[in-house]
Amino acid sequence: MKASSLSIGFRRATCSFCRLSRQAQYESNGFRSFHPPGVSRRHLATTTTSPVTAAPELNFSKRDGKPIDERLLKRVRIVPASPSYFSGKPVFTDGLLSMQALLRKFQTLPCVEPNDAPRVAWKRFREYLGQVNEPVKAAKYHKIIQILQRLNRIHPSLMPEEVTEAMKRYKRDVNPHDNQAKPSFVDENGVSRGLGRRKTSTARVWLVEGEGEVLVNGKTLTQTFGKLHDRESAIWALKATNRTDKYNVWALVSGGGTTGQAEALTLAIAKALLVQEPLLKPALRRAGCVTRDPRIVERKKPGHLKARKMPTWVKR
Amino acid sequence: MKKTKVQKATSRAPAIGERKALRKRVILSNTNALEVDGMPDLFVGNMAVPEVAGKMVGLPGPVVDSLRAAEAFKVTQGWSLFRKPAVLMRSETVEMGKLIQNLDAQTENRKTIRKIIAGERGSGKSVLLLQAMAMAYLKGWIVINIPDAKDLVQNHAAYAPIPDSQPLLYLQKTLTASLLDRLQKSNPILTTLTLSKPHTFPLPLSPQTTLSDLALHGISDPDLAWPAFTILWTELTSPSSPIPGATRPPILLALDGLAHALINSHYLTRDAQPIHAHDLALVSFFLRYLRASPPTDLPNGGLVLAAMSASNAPSCPALRLAVSQSLARQRGEEVPEWDPYRKIDTRALEAVSGVDVLGVGGLSKVEARAVLEYYAASGVVRERVDARYVGEAWTVSGGGLVGELERGAVRMRV
Repeated sequence: MKASSLSIGFRRATCSFCRLSRQAQYESNGFRSFHPPGVSRRHLATTTTSPVTAAPELNFSKRDGKPIDERLLKRVRIVPASPSYFSGKPVFTDGLLSMQALLRKFQTLPCVEPNDAPRVAWKRFREYLGQVNEPVKAAKYHKIIQILQRLNRIHPSLMPEEVTEAMKRYKRDVNPHDNQAKPSFVDENGVSRGLGRRKTSTARVWLVEGEGEVLVNGKTLTQTFGKLHDRESAIWALKATNRTDKYNVWALVSGGGTTGQAEALTLAIAKALLVQEPLLKPALRRAGCVTRDPRIVERKKPGHLKARKMPTWVKR
Repeated sequence: MKKTKVQKATSRAPAIGERKALRKRVILSNTNALEVDGMPDLFVGNMAVPEVAGKMVGLPGPVVDSLRAAEAFKVTQGWSLFRKPAVLMRSETVEMGKLIQNLDAQTENRKTIRKIIAGERGSGKSVLLLQAMAMAYLKGWIVINIPDAKDLVQNHAAYAPIPDSQPLLYLQKTLTASLLDRLQKSNPILTTLTLSKPHTFPLPLSPQTTLSDLALHGISDPDLAWPAFTILWTELTSPSSPIPGATRPPILLALDGLAHALINSHYLTRDAQPIHAHDLALVSFFLRYLRASPPTDLPNGGLVLAAMSASNAPSCPALRLAVSQSLARQRGEEVPEWDPYRKIDTRALEAVSGVDVLGVGGLSKVEARAVLEYYAASGVVRERVDARYVGEAWTVSGGGLVGELERGAVRMRV
């Protein structure tokens, strides 16, 4: 009886030691690092995380070569220099603090109106999360973005190098706003081109001065669109601006159904018409021919019969 | 379980044929529509003059009666919207008027002209046929109209092989009787024409028997319809002479929905094999005169017109090929050939190849304007008919297709 209890106790002691050593091994390999949910490995792979090092141990025995009075130590409270001292990973907090400091430093510089500030695409929240590799709330990241937007408003001619460098860390790799649309033109034959989309249809239009003839995919308007409404939609841009008998349309349409094709043509003809007569833009906008209709079919979800329809409820 | 009571209809059930009569009813006048001032009527003097081109003309009363009896008006056409039937003298109509004007049984111009009217849906093929018939009536011609070839082939009427016919032909006696009915009612001139020679007929025929009386025999007894029709046709195609009762005017043979006449019919032989439309006596009669090679001429001259239908047409590759070949020949382009590795109905191709094709397309803007002004004058279009309105209507109707023009301007508006 006595011998068996001794052996059990010894085994437990060995196991606890083993567990400890294994844990230490994990930590040294960096296995317990935080992986935020929903962050793809792509983002993680590109991040350059600074190695987090613990603060050096405080030495209370001496200060400036003199021994410290122990009564003083009982009276004062030691406050860490950074509020992130006690957090597991300080990247976000330090980042926020540095941006706040930067703003405080340069807040007296003259600013431009928000409309005149250069358009910048900041890193998306998910992207940032992958970069800092620590749990951050979206609202917190938004604070940084607000500061960045304020800093971005500093007059471009006075923009300090320091701010530029800091903002660079939060900019997306590719700025989509740098992508400028190529200016369209009327070619030597008097033809202007336009591209329009609606739902899943795409329409390409070649517009030239003429008598109001329309060919869509080599067919007449009546052969292409049986519905009168679709025909009127297709040439709505010309009709709304009283240009029906001034231009000939040659179009190629693909994808989608008849309504989508007709409304893709509306947009394409409007764009081609704007190349010929740019002053028609307000009229065309009033007629609803300038903006692409972004609505598309909502995806089907699991558990639903369609996008939103649920199966009939049954008692059991 | 509780037995539910069957609700009995409280209203009267429609009588036999009532629904069909309603379906087939053609309304040619609308007293709510305004009368159009200054619109001339069609007559012999203005049917081929260039001045009338691009203008609307009314159809005179007797011609309207004849056309109605010949079933030339269709239910789907918009006659019921206007005070009286009126038609546009488009360029093709004026050309047709010239043809009819120049043909004459008495002179040397005893030609037989064959044409297939082809075009898009709503381009006015059937109305062009109607216009040709109207002008033929005005000129005192005999008009034989088959309003829809589909009626001949859809197996809705009694049929039987004609004994001793070589090749075997099938006769539809009720349809022959109704053809005679249309012929007799729509051609009042038949009452002035008498038999020129004795014929063998189950009933006694005197030399004073008019062709109208002969037709009436066939109408009253469908068993006599085919003999009556053959005698009538022999008489109509006999040489014309100036003696009263023996004159034989030119003939207009008209058929709509040609594709139905070129494929297998829905009738079956005794061995349950489909009967080709060409083996039906009535279809074969028409196609004999439409055929360009070898041609069978009308002895007193005349027109053989076959209109295609774009909305109710079975697939007929032979007709499609013949039409495209003829149009290519007219335009001086390369004539398309049939892919020898694909099947084609050679009988159908022989029947229609080489026949002139009259392509009907959209109206010009001037013609479209005349039509829209007529609509406005009749009170069915409220908009101001100006260049803008005409241009829009012309474009939306696919380049002035007259049927689409009517649909867009009149029917789809409230």
